[in-house]
This record gives sequence, C-alpha cells and structure tokens, in this order.
Amino acid sequence: MPALGLIILFLLPAILVLGFMLQDAFVPAAWAALFEHPQFAKALVLSLGSGSAATLMALIASLFIATSLFQTGRIQKLSTALGFALAMPHLAFAVGISFLIMPSGLVARLLAPLFGWTAPPHFITVHDPYAVSLTIVMAAKETCFLLFALLQTLSREDKRQNLLAQVAAAQALGHENLSISLRVLIPQVWRTMIWPVIIVFVYAATVVDIAAVLGPTQPPTLASLIWSDISSARAESNLRGGAGAIFLGLACAAMILFSALAVHFIMPALRRFATRGPSDSHYPVWLAILKWRGLVMWFVLSGSALVLLSFAPLWTFPSFIPQVISASPWQRIFERPDAMVTSLALGLACALIGLLLLVAWFETMPVKFDRIVLIVSVAMLGLPSLLTALGLYRLLLRVGLSATWQGLLLAHLIPAIAYMFIVMVGPYRSFDNKWRCASDGLMASRFKFLSHLKWPLLKAPLAATAAVGFAVAFAQYVPAQLVSAGRFDTLTIEAVTLSSGGNRALLAAFAFLLMLPPLLGFWIATKIGRERWRSA
Amino acid sequence: MSLMLENLALNLNGAVLIKPFTLEIAPSEIVTLMGPSGSGKSSLLSAISGGLPEAFKMSGKILVKGREISSLSPAQRRIGRLFQDDLLFPHLTIGENLLFGMAQGPREHRAFKMQEALVEIELEGVEHRGPHTLSGGQRQRVALMRSLLAGPDAMLLDEPFSKLDENLRAAMRELTFAKLKHSGTPTLLVTHDKEDAPLHGRIFKIENAEVKRVR
Repeated sequence: MPALGLIILFLLPAILVLGFMLQDAFVPAAWAALFEHPQFAKALVLSLGSGSAATLMALIASLFIATSLFQTGRIQKLSTALGFALAMPHLAFAVGISFLIMPSGLVARLLAPLFGWTAPPHFITVHDPYAVSLTIVMAAKETCFLLFALLQTLSREDKRQNLLAQVAAAQALGHENLSISLRVLIPQVWRTMIWPVIIVFVYAATVVDIAAVLGPTQPPTLASLIWSDISSARAESNLRGGAGAIFLGLACAAMILFSALAVHFIMPALRRFATRGPSDSHYPVWLAILKWRGLVMWFVLSGSALVLLSFAPLWTFPSFIPQVISASPWQRIFERPDAMVTSLALGLACALIGLLLLVAWFETMPVKFDRIVLIVSVAMLGLPSLLTALGLYRLLLRVGLSATWQGLLLAHLIPAIAYMFIVMVGPYRSFDNKWRCASDGLMASRFKFLSHLKWPLLKAPLAATAAVGFAVAFAQYVPAQLVSAGRFDTLTIEAVTLSSGGNRALLAAFAFLLMLPPLLGFWIATKIGRERWRSA
Repeated sequence: MSLMLENLALNLNGAVLIKPFTLEIAPSEIVTLMGPSGSGKSSLLSAISGGLPEAFKMSGKILVKGREISSLSPAQRRIGRLFQDDLLFPHLTIGENLLFGMAQGPREHRAFKMQEALVEIELEGVEHRGPHTLSGGQRQRVALMRSLLAGPDAMLLDEPFSKLDENLRAAMRELTFAKLKHSGTPTLLVTHDKEDAPLHGRIFKIENAEVKRVR
C-alpha cells in the first residue's frame, strides 16, 4: 500500500500531536502559575494586538494592490517576485530589516551626517516596547502571502475572464476603480481569503523567532514568554509553558470568533454600501504600483543588508564604510559547517520524501480521502507552531525519538508536507483524464503514462511543491529547537541564538545562508516549470 | 443628445484595423454595425466606451451631447453597454444589481425606481432573489433595466441577443429597442446576425477596414 507512507509519516503523528499538545490542559497548577505570572496580561495584549494589527495591515494592503492591478490586467506580473518574497524565510527577512533600522543600522548611518550623530541615536527601533517593528515587518512579509493567495483566486482563467467582464460592466454603469474594488471584486473574493487570513493571524500572534529579533523584551510577547518557559530546564516552567501555549491558542480562536461575529454584524451595512450607487472615488494605479515596488524594495534591501554586514566584522558608527572588510564570518561557518549541512539535508530530505509520499497518495487513494489530509494540513498550519511543536516533542519523548535524527526529520517533515499538500492537491487532482485515455489507446503501461506523460505535464506544480517543501522545512525554528534538544544545530537555531549576541557579521552570514537556498530552490523550480514552448 | 463619431479610426500594432469614418447617431436612433469576427467591431465598442487594450490606437473624436469624451475614464463617459453575457453581479441580489448603477440619492426614491423597473419587465417580487434563480431571458431583461437605470447618454449593444433561444430573441429585441427609443438614447448595435437589426434602421458594415452604409 503506497499510501501508507503518508499515513505513517504525516497523518498519524499529526493527529497524535493534537492529543499530546493538550496534555497540560488538565494540570490546574499549570494554569494557576500562568495567570499569576506578573507579565501575563501585558504580554497577552502585545501578542494579540501585534498579530491583529499585522494581519489587518497585510489584508488591506494586499486587497488594494491586487484588486487595482487586476483591473489593469497587470496582476500576473507580480507572480515571480512574489514567489521569491515567499521563499525568503521570515527570520532572514527580519534580521536584514533589523540591520537597516536599528539605532546603529544602515539607515541611521545614512542620516548621521545630516544630524551630526557621532554615536547611535537613542531612538528605540528594534525591540520597541509596543512591538511596532515586529508588527510592521510581519505585515510586510504577510502581505506577500495574502497577495499570493489572492493571485491564485484572481488568475484562474475562467474566474479571471468573468471578473474582468464584470469590471467592464461596472465601468459602463459609472463606477471608478476604487468603487469597483470595493463593490464588485472584494465582495467576491473575500471568502477565499478566510483561511489564509486565519493562518497569517495565528502565525503573527504566536511567532517566536521573529519576536526574538525584533519583538519587545520587558514585557515580551506572550509567545516569547511561553517559549522561554517551554525551553526552560525547570519542570514547573515547562508546565506553565504548556498551559500558556494552550491558552494562547484559545485566545487566538476567541479573536477569530470575535472577528467573524463582527463581520456578520456589519454585513448588512456593507451590502447597503455596495449598492449605494456609482461613485467616482478613484484609486490611482500608480499608487498601487508604488506600494508594490516599495514592498519588493524591502526584500531587496533586507537581503543586501545581510550580504553587506556578513563581510564587515568591524564597522563602527557612524562610519559609512566598514573598517575591516573580510570573509572571516564565512570562514568560521565553513570550518564548522554542521548547522548548514543539517539544514540543507533536512530541507532536501523533506522536499524529496514529501513529494514521493504525496505522489504515492494521489496515485493510489480515491479523491474522497483527500479531505482528511486537507483538514489535518490546515490544522497544522492554522494552529500555533508553539502548540503543535510541543505536542510533537512530547510524542517523540514518549516513543524515544527525541534528540534523534529521525525525530528531527519528522519535526520538519510534518509542516513541510502540510504546505506541500495544499500547493499540490489542486493541480494534481485536476489533471485532465483525456491524457490517460490517449495513453491507454497507445497501449502505454501505467508507469510509462506517469513518467512520460503525467509527470512531465505536471512538472511545474511538482517542482513548485518541492521548492515549497524545501523552504518550509528550511525555515523551521520552534520544532527544530525543541526536538534537537541541543544535539543538533540548524541554521535557524544558530541565527536565533546569535540574534541576542553581539556578533553581527556572523549573524548576517547565517541569515544570508538561511535565505539563499530557498531562493535558489524557487529559482530552479521556475526554470524546471517553464514550458518547453509557448503555444499561441 | 446624440452620439457623434468623428473621423474615428483604429490601429492594431500599427496596422490599420478601421479606416477613418464619421457617424452621427440621433437621439432614439438605433444604428446597426455588422462585420465578420475579427473585423474590429468589438474593439470599436471598447474604443467608444473606454478600456481599449494598449495594443490598439484610436484617433478621431467621440462626442456625446457635444462633449468630447475620449480622454475621460470609462466610468466618466456615461456610456451604457450590454454584453453577450448579462454580467449580473453574482454576489448581489437582483434588486441590488438594479441599484448598482443608479445615481446616489434618498433610499426610498431609489428603491421605488428599482421596483418600477421590475414591474416594467414583469419580474415584480424577485428583488431579494439571487441572479442565478432567473432564466437566461429574464436575466438579460434585468441587465437591460440595470443599464437604463444608470441613465446613460448613449448605449452600446454588443450582440446582446446572441445567447438567447430563437423564440426569446424576438421578444428581447422588441423590448430593448422600445425601451431605448422611449428613453431617447442614441444606440449603436453590433451584431453578425442581420435579423437583429431594427426594421427601417440604418445598417453599416465593416469591409476591408472600411465602414460602409448598406441600408
């Protein structure tokens, strides 16, 4: 049974994780300790506030960019740049941005001659107490994710033609583009955004690694607080962390429920607004393009900052040129390449194993069972990784796989497969059956049909799936840190550890190494996926 | 209130698609324009209503009520358009579809006009239903009223009867022409079916990039 692979390596552990993660829910002392924590309330507000604000900003920006560019037919041009932006790990992006905006960062150096600064200014940018930098960086990154989701909806050929015709009809009825975005396009696409928005919100409200780079410290976000409890050596702290992770998950669920209710109640007003009549409110297209270019610029600048800093072991403020330019950080990494090798091996293994398991599943299981995998995948993505990683850690402890390479692989494989399934299920399942008939008619064997017809025709989604699996596995932090239990090092673990230290050049080099392979993977996937020739 | 096309010409990637021609459509008049597919009929309508793809180049003037509109955005041109598909918005009810293009104003007044329009097309009482609950002919009638309620200064019909059954077509044609004449709207009808043209109306044909009168 080829489908057994996916069941044993994904479905079964994922479902068990759901049970194990709730273990501390029944320890009253854990709850008491959590609520007695002096920073609990403030930390909770920071987590939920920063998560909601980042989600809202990302949602609004992505809706306006997508719907206004859609009306001009220019939206397709975003897809390549979006792919690169998505492939860039959050952590690398955040580290790059922190190098730009920190008081001794590149922006401050640019401004220094203007203001006569001889020492880093006393502005608080990174680690600001209200989580502003964390929120904005998350919003920028997640705008790309939501734009990508919108692009999927808006660029399905039948849907695209139909919506463009509706745009023309609305124009003939006297509506300008902003009015068309608000009254015609957004009402028809917002439903497809529900799951992506939930995933973004939970991710932003419970993120640990980015918060370590940019987030507030006194008090930290609740996610960071819980994380230090979970990774603490004290058993009482572990218990409090377990209860905290459950609480944070419930708090997120409550926020989502509250938002759903709010939407439900303002719906009648929105409907009245939709039919109030034509309006000449115009949203200049150049503004949407500018916003998009600005967003892309963040990613380019962040990546450039990483390259620059990684060759500058000595660079005092406010000098604009490093005092020492050397490759010593890189030398250090290549002398002790364990973390790099482990991360690369995990990424490649997850991409390959995930692809094999999923193809085996799709080829042997009827469509009706896809639903189970989909639900488990969405649960893995929609639940805080703090919670699922904790569940997995306990499961692995129970079966004696904690701190083993098998356990580490599984910890990376589960989130990777969850994303891979969602990317792959549509293209793979909608493969046109007429090719199978044609192949049967030519007496081709099943395997010949797959290897010579189906997989070559599906090479673009297959390559994209592998690239996504690689990028997701490569960027894991929380499960990697928990399950490795200090025995293994990955690039994310190194980068987060270094982010609290003083060696900026080494941190930059690690963050750059974290960024490069997923980008390469995505680039290779687009090369492989390119059509052999373009038919008219 | 008339629609005037003055020395209008279309180029596609530098090649001549339609040579300059001049045509004035009087209030309440319905002029038919025929031509094989690919002759540029639909592009001509897009040029008049706005939203011509970038590969096309238009020259000449378009005057509505004596106002030159070719530099205005599609929404500012006040030119209504009916398509092959009814293009009722699927996320709005039938009533909301009718309100969509109606000028802003007091709610009761707008609701009254919407009800009135439904009575005129013998569809009273369906305003809270979704467009998908109507038949093709009924939907096309709603689309017609939706266009008229927006109060256009001129109307473009892009083969709006071509997807209807034979027996529905005649009725829909009559209704459409009657409404447009009654409202005094100058109308340009594009079709490849001679049957669609109103009796006694002027008919033009695009042949070898030239717009010629045939009746």
